[in-house]
Amino acid sequence: MRVITAGILGAGRIGKIHANNLMAMAGVRLKAIADPYTDFKEWPGPAITASRDPEDVLKDGEIEAVLICSPTPSHADFTDAAARAGKHIFCEKPIALDPERVRATLATVKRSGVKLQVGFNRRFDPTFARVRQAIVNGEIGDVQLVRITARDPAAPPIEYVMSSGGMFVDMTIHDFDMVRFLSGSEVEEVHAYGAVLVDPGIGKAGDIDTAVTSMRLSNGALAIIENSRQAVFGYDQRIEVFGSKGGIEAHNETPARTVLRTAAGIRSENPLYFFLERYQRSFVIELEAFFSSIRDDKEPPAGGKDGLMALVVGLAAKQSLVEGRPVRVEKLASPEAKKVR
Amino acid sequence: MTPTTVAVIGAGRIGRMHAENLVRAVPGANVKAVVSPRVDAAWADTLGIPVRTAEVDRVLNDPEVEAVIITAPSGRHVELIRRAAAAGKHIFCEKPVAFEPGLIEQAQAAVAAAGVKLQVGFNRRFDPGLLRMWMAVRAGEVGEIHQVRVTNRDPKAPPVDFVKRSGGLFFDFAIHDFDTMRFLSGSEIVELYALGAVLVDPEIGRAGDIDTAVITLRLADGALGVIDCSRQTNYGYDQRFEVFGSKGSIFVDNTTPTTVVSSSKGGVVADRPHETFVERYREAFIAELSAFVAAVRDGSPVRVGAEDALAAVKTAGAARTSHLENRPVRLSEGLQQTSGGKRQ
Repeated sequence: MRVITAGILGAGRIGKIHANNLMAMAGVRLKAIADPYTDFKEWPGPAITASRDPEDVLKDGEIEAVLICSPTPSHADFTDAAARAGKHIFCEKPIALDPERVRATLATVKRSGVKLQVGFNRRFDPTFARVRQAIVNGEIGDVQLVRITARDPAAPPIEYVMSSGGMFVDMTIHDFDMVRFLSGSEVEEVHAYGAVLVDPGIGKAGDIDTAVTSMRLSNGALAIIENSRQAVFGYDQRIEVFGSKGGIEAHNETPARTVLRTAAGIRSENPLYFFLERYQRSFVIELEAFFSSIRDDKEPPAGGKDGLMALVVGLAAKQSLVEGRPVRVEKLASPEAKKVR
Repeated sequence: MTPTTVAVIGAGRIGRMHAENLVRAVPGANVKAVVSPRVDAAWADTLGIPVRTAEVDRVLNDPEVEAVIITAPSGRHVELIRRAAAAGKHIFCEKPVAFEPGLIEQAQAAVAAAGVKLQVGFNRRFDPGLLRMWMAVRAGEVGEIHQVRVTNRDPKAPPVDFVKRSGGLFFDFAIHDFDTMRFLSGSEIVELYALGAVLVDPEIGRAGDIDTAVITLRLADGALGVIDCSRQTNYGYDQRFEVFGSKGSIFVDNTTPTTVVSSSKGGVVADRPHETFVERYREAFIAELSAFVAAVRDGSPVRVGAEDALAAVKTAGAARTSHLENRPVRLSEGLQQTSGGKRQ
């Protein structure tokens, strides 16, 4: 297997996870990591070049692939720079909060002829990948309904909420991607109800913490997403896809598989606490898939269009909430379609 | 305890089931008569029901009959309620009482004027699982309610002839879900948005109805709700409920005929859910009649009445409007002219 040399921009929480995963991955050599806000005293050790200057990664001729794990506002600029430097790109979601900006970046990537994968890690979760496989195999027949429950264990700090772009583009964006991924279909129209029930501070910051979103898909199927910023019992991540021949359901995953029986009742385990625990394996598998697509010169399994579409659906949901009506996604998805209409 | 003497009006599938439950499983009930143009005499013999008649007046004029169970075709419900109320009989009426809010209000007025009880057949309120959930929610086990979810899916799509006279999916099928939403949340639905589709059987679409729906809604206490409906699962009657709140969540799963799990190379296999509502809600159907008979005997209020039927039908009307006009509908706006019962 050909070894690919990689670099990482951003050494925050997700950057560190990706770095540690790459250090253990066959066929990849993590050469450098850059982050202006990290002193790198304890980590990552002498084998890896650590720098405060992103240019040290972008200008390194040996580095073939770059992982962009910096804060969201810098994703698009770094993606453009990496593309111009001829490097393949793995970018955390979202590429940008403005679809026009995302389109511009996708055009730059296309012109540069490099590969771009977006960090929709849930597609690579073994459980959800099995759900998709069952659909592809025809095990549940034609998809009629996709239902997703996605609840975080605890509400984020208000500062995070304020820079997040809002719940639909920050949190639900993963669920919109799952709806597209599982159904193999586009979201045509979206309607959202939202509420502030967890933390009034989130409401004061102009966001919501609870939502139910319904969608009509281009293949005629319907979809529902239930979100909450706080499920006190743990990270609640469940999916059900229902079709003409039956349904398939993915339950929460737990740290262990015990059931405790006592006079007080039958007690099983809480879900894994949060996304780092629940989706641990998906972070490894998504990068393996990224490097395979470089090695074998294939399209990455979650590309720029997927990043754009999930964002556009998120923005449509936001608009639906503000205007109190269903919103057609195509009007936002392509400026050309708007002109034709 | 003096038995309460009742008559069952209508001897279709539900009528026969109620009669059998009253005779075999409801203590303190005495089924004296069954009213139907065609009564199976052997069946009535088995149950020991002495009076079989095609004449409603025969039971309404019988002073021994204290209460009637109305399971005649839905189009006759309101007329029968008014006659029974005028005759001073307490009434249990199957859902839907009527498709039009105005007709339900007439029935409500007739019952109030006569001072008799009217219980409506929202059987799910008496299901042990849903009752346990209701008690847990009332006891604050989930804290403040944030989200309520109802999944309601039939095992097999009904014949198109049934669909044509059913009033449509929102009035015939989702009506139970609207009531369940109110029951579990203890709050009123203030606004909803309904998406409908024909994905199961194109014939249902040609008959002007839908077979798949997703209804999202806002409750008066601020919580949000989701209902999903399908006319056909192929794997049994799928009935699941979840209430999620500030302190956690509570879930009611499907029930199964047995609890057998068999494991083999092919996989780990458990029973499918019960096949029909008759099996799934067996205890609920008995409990609702037990509660009705007890209310008649003790003079206590019924647990589900005309106001609940009215609220559910108004919600169904709003859902139909939402589906047809593709917009969210506030319940307060749709009250002027709900020409309920027309097919969507």
